[in-house]
Amino acid sequence: MISCTINGKKRSFDIDPTKRLREMLLMNGNFAVRDSDDAEGFCGSDTVLLDGTPVFSNLVLAGEVEGCEIRTPDSLGDSMHLSVVQQALIDAGVVQSAYNAPAAALLMTWLFENDPEPSREAVKDALSGIFIRDASYEQYYLAAELIKEKNKYGEYKSEIAPEFRPHLKAVGKNMPKVDAPQLVSGERAFVEDYVDSDTCYMVVLRSPYAHAYVNKIDTSKAEALPGVIKIITAYNCPDVTYMSAGQGNPEPSPHDRKLLNKKVRHVGDRVAAIVAETLEEAIKARDLIEVEYEPLPAVFTVEEAMAEGAPLVHNGYVEYNAGAPDDLDEYNAKLSGDEREGHVLYQFPLNGDVLHNVAAANHGGIGDVDKAFAEADAVVEATYQTSQIQHTPLETHICFSKMENGRLIIYASTQVPYHVRRIVSWVTGLSENKIHVIKTRVGGGYGSKQDILVEDLTGYASFATGRPVLYHNTREEEFIANSTRHPMRVHVKMGGNKDGQITGIYMKVDANTGPYGNHALTVPMNSCSKTLPLFKCDNMKYDLTIYYTNTPPAGAYQGYGTPKGTYGLMMAMCELADKLGVDYKEMVLKNHVEEGYMLEILKGLGEGREGNVVSVGSCGLREAVEKGCEMIEWGKREESDDPDWKIGKGFAMIMQGSGLPGLDHANAIAKLEMDGSVIITSGAADIGTGLDTIIAKVTSDILCLPMNLITVISGDTDSGAFDTGSYASSGTFFSGNAAVVAATNLKEKILDEAGYQLEESVEDMELRWPGEVHSKKTGEVLSFYDIIHTSTSGTGRGHLIAPGSFTTTAASVPYGAHFAQVAVNIKTGEVKVQKFYALQDAGTPINPEAALCQMYGAALKSIGHTLYEDMKLDENGTCVNANMTDYGVPMISEQPDDFKAVLIDVDDPDGPFGAKSISEIACNGAAPAIGNAIHDACGVWIRSWPMTPEKILRELGKIK
Amino acid sequence: MYDIGTLYQAETVEHACRLLLEHPEAQVLAGGSDVLVQIREGRRAGKDFVDIYMLDELRGVSIDDEENIRIGSLTSFSHITKDPIIQKYINVLGEAVDMVGGPQIRAIGTIGGNTCNGVTSADSASTLMAWDAVMEVTGTEGVRRVPIKDWYIKAKQVDLRAGEIQTAILIPKESYENCFGHYIKYSMRNALDIATTGCSVNVRLSDDKSTFERVRIGYGVASPVPVRAPSAEEFINGKEITGENIKLFSEMVLEDINPRDSWRAGRALRRHISVVMADRAIRECVRLAGGEVHE
Repeated sequence: MISCTINGKKRSFDIDPTKRLREMLLMNGNFAVRDSDDAEGFCGSDTVLLDGTPVFSNLVLAGEVEGCEIRTPDSLGDSMHLSVVQQALIDAGVVQSAYNAPAAALLMTWLFENDPEPSREAVKDALSGIFIRDASYEQYYLAAELIKEKNKYGEYKSEIAPEFRPHLKAVGKNMPKVDAPQLVSGERAFVEDYVDSDTCYMVVLRSPYAHAYVNKIDTSKAEALPGVIKIITAYNCPDVTYMSAGQGNPEPSPHDRKLLNKKVRHVGDRVAAIVAETLEEAIKARDLIEVEYEPLPAVFTVEEAMAEGAPLVHNGYVEYNAGAPDDLDEYNAKLSGDEREGHVLYQFPLNGDVLHNVAAANHGGIGDVDKAFAEADAVVEATYQTSQIQHTPLETHICFSKMENGRLIIYASTQVPYHVRRIVSWVTGLSENKIHVIKTRVGGGYGSKQDILVEDLTGYASFATGRPVLYHNTREEEFIANSTRHPMRVHVKMGGNKDGQITGIYMKVDANTGPYGNHALTVPMNSCSKTLPLFKCDNMKYDLTIYYTNTPPAGAYQGYGTPKGTYGLMMAMCELADKLGVDYKEMVLKNHVEEGYMLEILKGLGEGREGNVVSVGSCGLREAVEKGCEMIEWGKREESDDPDWKIGKGFAMIMQGSGLPGLDHANAIAKLEMDGSVIITSGAADIGTGLDTIIAKVTSDILCLPMNLITVISGDTDSGAFDTGSYASSGTFFSGNAAVVAATNLKEKILDEAGYQLEESVEDMELRWPGEVHSKKTGEVLSFYDIIHTSTSGTGRGHLIAPGSFTTTAASVPYGAHFAQVAVNIKTGEVKVQKFYALQDAGTPINPEAALCQMYGAALKSIGHTLYEDMKLDENGTCVNANMTDYGVPMISEQPDDFKAVLIDVDDPDGPFGAKSISEIACNGAAPAIGNAIHDACGVWIRSWPMTPEKILRELGKIK
Repeated sequence: MYDIGTLYQAETVEHACRLLLEHPEAQVLAGGSDVLVQIREGRRAGKDFVDIYMLDELRGVSIDDEENIRIGSLTSFSHITKDPIIQKYINVLGEAVDMVGGPQIRAIGTIGGNTCNGVTSADSASTLMAWDAVMEVTGTEGVRRVPIKDWYIKAKQVDLRAGEIQTAILIPKESYENCFGHYIKYSMRNALDIATTGCSVNVRLSDDKSTFERVRIGYGVASPVPVRAPSAEEFINGKEITGENIKLFSEMVLEDINPRDSWRAGRALRRHISVVMADRAIRECVRLAGGEVHE
């Protein structure tokens, strides 16, 4: 029996003392004490106060807390009664995906209880043991200031974020994100919080081989164990070939995998799924499964994949749903056709060639680059290699599913609820009306939850067993069996003249998609389609080839392919400027596009079909460059007191998109409730970035209704209407615009109904704050309550409900420039990012404070990609650093001392209230900005990620 | 639940020793920040443990009758950093252990655990090496003292015999008096990262501050166990404080260390960095001691 005090209440537990303290707290209902790292002691989501000191509750044994006092994050305040600290975190905008926001709130509370006026250093120290991936740490410093001010003066003094559009009440204003109180206080929010007590558990047996046939699986010993319910293998699962990318159907990704395959294609690939009554039983059963593998030679790099006679990752046969080549039979005759291989199905041609490990390819361009290079004053040519990087969301992939009355209910942490439903429908054979996907709050997506990586298997397991099933990735599985950033080899050739004019650009991109082709074409395509249109250049050419290999799989990752293309192009441009003796800034200013410039290059850069040629729309690029140069004092050389530290500056232009014109689609349904409040149901998937808040804000401003009278229901496939999902930077633009349409339609219905009820002309009706209709002619006023009350009476015309649908061919492109000042130690190779300025044109920032946090978060993340993060594979293809400590994410100590995010005010004609996308683009600038700054500091070009001290010292000739 | 065979709670040091004798396979569990992570990774799974974390008599820093600085083995990293005795005499140790993790780890990580795990990258190891720390080990038959140079037998193995636990770490007066030290942790990141190489130097200058009276330099991750660089030390002791001597001293460390290649960093980088760190650390020590380097 262990007795202790939890949140001021005495508690006793009859518990094995070798259980973790966290497990004991879960028994007590303190579920906001979460686990992000399988008790590695890294992420800090499991932080509690033990006798007043923060500890990782996963690293304390239950047996050690006898007589102790424990405080957990959920004790600080609930969503209706927030503490000063919790409220300040919300107001500063840092409560984003928020999986460990409660733990951060607890650490901040601890800090302020011990030191009412903590210094910046003290804040840094307090947060040095918690990993924040979404918002960075910058606005935690702001939150600390807000807490100090609130405690001292009773109100905030600091500016939180600039505000926009003074004529609007909600849009462009700093307001709490609608889900933030729930998230910061640690209320039920995530999939794990909705698991039924009678759930079964599923674990997956994973391949130890990078490439092997699975010839036989003997599950008899495992099945004999008590508690084992079902073991699913390639030999008893549905024979359905699909893929994991959550993209519009038909997808520009080859269908090349099944639930379980008879061939494993990477270390960590699925071999069998075990469903058992308890997690321990499932794990025990997994260990008893006997598998007969037939190992095959493997390929790990694009160089190996393209080599003559390379082992083939997919060696079955190829099929097309549309556009099959005439010689397909002859082609297939050259493949092995082995039944264990399965097959590759292209929905339409992507120029794939599995016989050469090519999953997809694309080639195109404008003008004549060869002529341009021949006539240029100088030409540079270099290859830039990016590394394999993992998203590391705080909440690893998780799914809970169950059968209810013949329907499959899926609780998913996903960016794409409707794609989840479709793919689970394919796998189970259930029609879509029989599947209900409920997107809970999402503890970090960053693209990794645009892939259907766990819902297919979990949903099928429930369908096949009739039992509730919980599946939760370990952190190691998150690395080896999930999705990652495609490693790419970006070869750039660029020519220009002495006046700084760029005359020709050639990009050859060879991308590594790993064993499966989800996002195979489109991610690498973005390395060209979201970079080349930055340049006013008449001669541009690209060759893209995407290779299958036996590495851990790649997929979507915030920025998609753009960070890699931007890295190559902006570094090459800096190298060209250097060679021509032209100032880089002058070259940028001379060559960047501006509003109205026709982007012919886009013709070949569609998503597997002809691209949409448009001219440049609203564009804050020049302002971002000019302002950033001023801020960082471009051209001024900085000297360090220590001669070993050399200081340099660099920057990069960036762009992205706002969804996929012609492909994406969003819907919303606005409904006036019985008291005049509004519920708007959206197909959107808010993944912590504030999309629900955007929907509420646009509805508020359109309907002249206060925010607290608007509720957004989203991410639920039963109640909402179709939305392609949160990817390709589409949330604000598509789902936001659908809400604008729905709210506007509802407004028209309200005006019409008011006119009818007042027996006046609808033209004389106008909406007024806070939720009423005013007659310009008679001065009569009807509140929303009056209107809906009458319209739903026994003689009324019915409930006021308005759908809104949004598609477009308009491309609203966000632009920006990211600046870095680095110090490089020429003796140790260390790099410090001293300053980082992110300047972006996001159109109208609807949630300004959240927008800043997303810019900071993406910038810090991409600083990590540039300098530290790298999945390392051994010679067998096993990832040797598949844990948080070894992998190398940046934390508060890595954050630049001088970190600024600046919103460039541009009004976009097509965005909702002028808004464009904000977050993905912010991943694109760090690598070239830092790379160029390193060159400026010490004269070496670092042409691969991560830019480690070892590479710098080697380039400097200090080590061999 | 952790995969632990049986967990025995020790009530006194003597009880802990007895438990360890009765259960020879059992291992000692202190704060748990290392051991519990290793169990999770399956490295010590299923073993029996003797938990000594409740033994408050093993906590705290004091000056003992022999004027040694005595650090109880269960003293946490955060305690060491804040302790006035440490700050006065061997501040570098407080700085070194402050580089471990975040507040959650520093609160439970113990100096004893950090030295008994036998890990070469432990942040306290190179500093204790450089200050000639003495390990106080208690068994059922009494107490013995092990100089740190004899403590590390090989990677992950230290000189603890059956039925013994480490009860304190002593820094003799001769070792800390008039000494000024500096520790450099070279890692890929600052945050929660394992040292690529750690270097700790301390110096005692002559009264007129013109010569090095005694220089000691310890390394972590430069060999399978923490090491000193005796050739370099021997060279510089008694020498004048000049840039040339420091340069020769720094280069000479390569005669004493043997870093390896790993996926974290190559041998060439570690060798290069070891020299650079020696140079930087000794210069900082001279500055702290009020001396000046004559270039």
